[in-house]
Amino acid sequence: MEAGGSREREARNYLEKHQIMELLKYLTSVLLFIRPEKPREYLIAILEKLRIAKATGVAFPFFMDHSNITAMFDMMDSSKKGTISFVQYKEALKTLGLCPADEVLKDDGHAITLDKFKSEVKRMRPRALA
Amino acid sequence: MDATTAPHHIPPEMSQYGEENHIFEIMQNMLEQLLIHQPKDPILFMINHLQLDNDNVPKIVILGPPASGKTTIAMWLCKHLNSNLLTVENLIAKEFSSLAAAARKHYQINKRVPSMQLVRLIQDRVSEEDCVRRGWILDGIPETREQALMIQTVGITPRHVIVLSAPDTVLIERNLGKRIDPQTGEIYHTTFDWPSESEIQDRLIVPVGISELETAGKLLEYHRNIVRIFPSYPKILKVISADQPCVDVFYQALTYVQTNHRSNAPFTPRVLLCGPMGSGKSLQAALLAQKYSLVNVCCGQLLKEAVADKSKFGEVIQPFFEKDMAEYKLQEGGALGSLPCNAVPGTARMLLPDSLIMKVLSERLNQQDCIQKGWVLHGFPRDLDQALMMDSLGYKPNRVFFLNVPFDSVLERLTLRRTDPITGERYHLMYKPPPTTEIQDRLLQNPKDAEEHVKFKMDLFYRNAAELEEFYGQALTINGDQDPYTVFEYIESGIINPLPQKVP
Repeated sequence: MEAGGSREREARNYLEKHQIMELLKYLTSVLLFIRPEKPREYLIAILEKLRIAKATGVAFPFFMDHSNITAMFDMMDSSKKGTISFVQYKEALKTLGLCPADEVLKDDGHAITLDKFKSEVKRMRPRALA
Repeated sequence: MDATTAPHHIPPEMSQYGEENHIFEIMQNMLEQLLIHQPKDPILFMINHLQLDNDNVPKIVILGPPASGKTTIAMWLCKHLNSNLLTVENLIAKEFSSLAAAARKHYQINKRVPSMQLVRLIQDRVSEEDCVRRGWILDGIPETREQALMIQTVGITPRHVIVLSAPDTVLIERNLGKRIDPQTGEIYHTTFDWPSESEIQDRLIVPVGISELETAGKLLEYHRNIVRIFPSYPKILKVISADQPCVDVFYQALTYVQTNHRSNAPFTPRVLLCGPMGSGKSLQAALLAQKYSLVNVCCGQLLKEAVADKSKFGEVIQPFFEKDMAEYKLQEGGALGSLPCNAVPGTARMLLPDSLIMKVLSERLNQQDCIQKGWVLHGFPRDLDQALMMDSLGYKPNRVFFLNVPFDSVLERLTLRRTDPITGERYHLMYKPPPTTEIQDRLLQNPKDAEEHVKFKMDLFYRNAAELEEFYGQALTINGDQDPYTVFEYIESGIINPLPQKVP
């Protein structure tokens, strides 16, 4: 039925737009890892924190942690130089959704090291989820 | 979580926590609500949803032909579950609502409410605070497929749908005896449900439209409609026969609405089979292990394997076994045949300390294949102390079954067992008799299958059974006195279906 098809598409778009699945995966993982006595209350607490931390309305990758960032860096730095180029760095930020269009990233001529990459990502992520 | 390190060894505590707290179901419900309402601010919506905590409130639809008793059942369920009853009548009787007033006018003229208005009324009612907190029971709605689809479109989905059914002739006759109490609105019947107080009896009135012809007309329309409503609620629908006493119908309905449906949650079965010797535990364990790829952990077998492997546990255990073997040899002076695998020699069990058994068992249950695939345990624990020890070490089964078999059946199953000393083949004089008399002549019986020994073991089991049953509160009892595949089906359905909720 056409009506069913379009509503399904609507629903999928909604999920993607708000990154619901990633959020739910993150919440489930946290619950299973911490195993609080009262799961509902704990979930409410995390969601409240998220709500406060949300600066703009745009989706952001709170589901990444340090090992992911390192892995990402290693993938980009295929020759194992220890640095990535500025273009790669900008693309990575865009993938993570951390690169607001109006911010101007200056290319200071030096390549980006892992530490710089990590600190930049951390800076742009909401502090509550460091 | 980083997916690049593989494979993940998920600690069993996680899956246990997930099962106990129904994490999957919480998340699933939240996702459903998000998709239905698609709020602009999902996080705020989720916070509110979690705070409501109304995943398990009753959301029931009761349908049925006229005179099937659905209003009575709906009212009783309401009272019992402390929920809200929604009928066409009480929806349009709502005050302070222009929508309801319009619906009333329509009803007075045409004797029915247009579907659009009805669904709007339902939508308003269901979003009211008391329905959100205590659930709702729809009586006789949806009447048609259009209404069913409209209700679904606005996001109202019942969790249980009950359809009452009875032969038409019964219903026509029943309808003739219908009486209504004008004060309370309760429905009585001249034959089946006559009120005891005479003052109620005096004020009962005969409702309109119960003549045979009118009932037949209504039934025709009902049958036309109900057939097209069925496909809207495929997995949650249950048909209950209304051609039985009211109390029985009510009891069936109540049991049904209190069961949860099978969920898609990941589930690693950790099954414990308890029962006296000869109840079929080993057989069922083997069947389960084969069908669901669980690890079959038989306590006695485990200990024997330890001895045979000459592992460090084996060396500690062996003296207990040897002492026992010597006793047997002296007693019988003959071949032992193959020992049934789930019996540690009776006297040895009293000597073999629980802590030792527990250590061997822990070693097995901690192995990766047990954690990942789940296990079926039988032959342990046999009394409360062992159960407490197992529990304290963290091995909590998520399904416990008690296999009940009467003593005579056990005797029949065990005392007729025989073994052929030359081929090693095992026979049973009743269920699997030996093919030739030559074989039959040379068959021997295992001393453990002798009647006195069986009786001794049964007594031993039943002495401890009561405590075990109390300890494993959610255990399911199964009649083991049937053919193995029937018992297996019962066990299967016990594992697959969610555990029954205890009636509050």
